[in-house]
Amino acid sequence: MKILVPCKRVPNPDLKLKVANGSVDLAGTTWQVNPFDEYAVEAALRLTEKGKGGERVGEVVVVSIGPKDTSAQLKQLLAMGANRAILVAGDDSALDSDLVARILRAVVAAEKPDLVITGKQAVDGDDNQVGQILAASLGWPQATFLASILLAADGKSATVTREVDAGVEERRVRLPAIMTVDLRIIGKKAVRNEALAPATAEWEDTQRLASLKGIMAAKKKELREITVESLGVAGGILVKTLRHEAPPARKAGVKVASVEELVAKLHNEAKVI
Amino acid sequence: MPRPPDQATLERLKQITGPAGWSDDPDTLAPHLVEWRSRYQGKTPLLLKPANTAEVAEIVRVCAAAEVGIVPQGGNTGLVGAQIPRASGHEVLVNLSRINRVRSVDPSNNTLIAEAGCVLAAVQQAAAEHDRLFPLSLAAEGSCQIGGNLSANAGGIHVLRYGNSRDLVLGLEVVTAEGEIWDGLRGLRKDNTGYDLKQLYIGAEGTLGIITAAVLKLFPRHRQVETAFVAVPSPEAVLDLLSLAREVSGDGGVLAFEMISRFALDLVVKHVAGSIDPLATRSPWYVLCDLTVARATAETFMTQALDHGLIADAALAGSAAQAAALWKLRESISEAQKREGGSIKNDVSVPVSHIPDFIRQALAAVTKLVPGIRPVPFGHVGDGNLHFNFSQPAGMDQDAYLARWEEVSRVVHAIVVAHGGSISAEHGIGVAKREEARRYKSAVELDLMRRIKQAFDPKGIMNPGKGII
Ligand SMILES: Cc1cc2nc3c(=O)[nH]c(=O)nc-3n(C[C@H](O)[C@H](O)[C@H](O)COP(=O)(O)OP(=O)(O)OC[C@H]3O[C@@H](n4cnc5c(N)ncnc54)[C@H](O)[C@@H]3O)c2cc1C
Repeated sequence: MKILVPCKRVPNPDLKLKVANGSVDLAGTTWQVNPFDEYAVEAALRLTEKGKGGERVGEVVVVSIGPKDTSAQLKQLLAMGANRAILVAGDDSALDSDLVARILRAVVAAEKPDLVITGKQAVDGDDNQVGQILAASLGWPQATFLASILLAADGKSATVTREVDAGVEERRVRLPAIMTVDLRIIGKKAVRNEALAPATAEWEDTQRLASLKGIMAAKKKELREITVESLGVAGGILVKTLRHEAPPARKAGVKVASVEELVAKLHNEAKVI
Repeated sequence: MPRPPDQATLERLKQITGPAGWSDDPDTLAPHLVEWRSRYQGKTPLLLKPANTAEVAEIVRVCAAAEVGIVPQGGNTGLVGAQIPRASGHEVLVNLSRINRVRSVDPSNNTLIAEAGCVLAAVQQAAAEHDRLFPLSLAAEGSCQIGGNLSANAGGIHVLRYGNSRDLVLGLEVVTAEGEIWDGLRGLRKDNTGYDLKQLYIGAEGTLGIITAAVLKLFPRHRQVETAFVAVPSPEAVLDLLSLAREVSGDGGVLAFEMISRFALDLVVKHVAGSIDPLATRSPWYVLCDLTVARATAETFMTQALDHGLIADAALAGSAAQAAALWKLRESISEAQKREGGSIKNDVSVPVSHIPDFIRQALAAVTKLVPGIRPVPFGHVGDGNLHFNFSQPAGMDQDAYLARWEEVSRVVHAIVVAHGGSISAEHGIGVAKREEARRYKSAVELDLMRRIKQAFDPKGIMNPGKGII
């Protein structure tokens, strides 16, 4: 089983972003792997191991499109356990979901994975498009917002669940496929490969940390840097960002003295009831 | 000697704040009269929540004239009972939480003026909004207030790099025990013009006057913090690891360095939902540290530590969320201990170099005294400060166990003092450690302290019965 996991780096979501002159100032920020992509890596690792801490069978390749120092985030994923990393040189300002999907399609063509797993969306732009566009352009089945993945023993299909408004939807997907994952995918028993791990297998309720052993091993793993041109993909984006604006500051609230006053205000001023 | 307040005094006090600023309703009072572990319970005829410094001054003047005791209170997170009025019910409780503005921020001077009732997290936030850091950080930061932090001289996890609360203050505004306002809100890093009075009010646990505002020092924000959780074979190795961390990360690169015993981690994993053991390797000791270095440097540090045999395993957080999860383990120890039954706590410090000997001797002595007792040592090892706690033997009656608190502490403290240490490193004296603290102070030191108290609070109305004097 070979799994490709596209991952994006995002600014530290805990830092307050500075917006000035129509753009976000990212000069002082620190970067990290998009949490949903990190969950995707965790899911991929579980699908290629014989239970928690067990022997790894198969290959997990992480790929990112970003500037050179994105290698720091890729190294972290290698330290978690991914086998190889590919960094396609690129800059956020010259990318949109369409171009990212086209680049990934070229990577898929070169790598020929059995499965592509990625986060349901990146927490910076919150676009939620790449997985879907990629699936459509490859003509592969797509299974989005997954809460669990059970890979069949023959490696030809997977039974997945996704949480929808009305409950939980269960589906079967043929492989190769594109899967995007939601946060429940890191649950203790959310992900399993029937060929490798018994039904009793259980992992921790979180994505794994980079262990010291993993960090040392990562130093010897391949991190290949390539260009968009080398993949034969033409640049050009469909969606152009014109400007960013900070949301208007919240106005100070008022204290009401009674329920009557609250109802009156909701009715007359807020006009919500 | 303070006296019980008469009705006329209480009425006068109520007039000062007006109806928005006082209460004698038992339900409103209740949360202010018990400390979070329910160890200290008190009584008061009146809770006052003044709206500004002038009201505080008037309150103190009325109390001083009537010789009525005052207990200042901030966020009520203190751990030694200092913020709870005594059971006699003779003292009025003055809670500062309504005086809670950040008055100003001066980014070029790297200072911020906060009123006493500002919640610590709000001060950190105000600093962050100006791209600055206010480094005081402790598990109670969402509730405790600057006035309480300074009065307790709180420590926390960043003492190693930035010092205690007292190192973070440039000036104070204080209402004296006689009801005068001292405006000492100077934002100066150099000022050799007499006795440093602010330092007497800091750490005084409200026994000398009421702090109403402070000029706090700000620092550059950390651009990068790497959080590591490390398995360490012994306390000796912990110290060597600290040296190595300092050497590898350069000047001031070690932001926090906490030690956690295996049993402490086990309790957290057992009792606190969502916590997991971060490492595959079981180890008698762990270190949780924050380094303000590049990731590559953090990795070098860990590989060198492994080569030197100082660590058995380690994990490095990959994101702010992972770092927060690791820190949650450390911050949940008290809570986990509470769920495990009775806990006897000691907050002690010794010179850092004495930590391994201290731990060995004190563990041996206490386990001999109470067979089956389960040690939960952890704490700010980089400052030589350990929370040298003990959970009750499994199955023992909780009250019977807690009845042995003094006996256990006596044994621990004797060893602490033999190592030149302190029996109360960061939580203060309050009522909890009054007797014990006096026992180890020299007559000269106690006498000087008594004279300071006399000079600052001649009528003895400020937080009577608390602190060392
Ligand atoms: C979960 C938890 C973790 C903690 N961790 C740490 C830690 O790591 N390090 C550490 O040092 N402490 C720690 N503490 C204890 C710490 O001392 C207090 O949390 C904090 O500093 C007290 O602030 P407060 O506003 O709650 O003060 P309170 O508890 O209300 O009062 C503390 C003392 O200050 C006095 N006081 C309060 N406000 C004023 C004022 N304006 N003027 C004069 N006197 C005043 C009170 O009379 C009392 O003597 C912890 C407590 C908890 C509950």
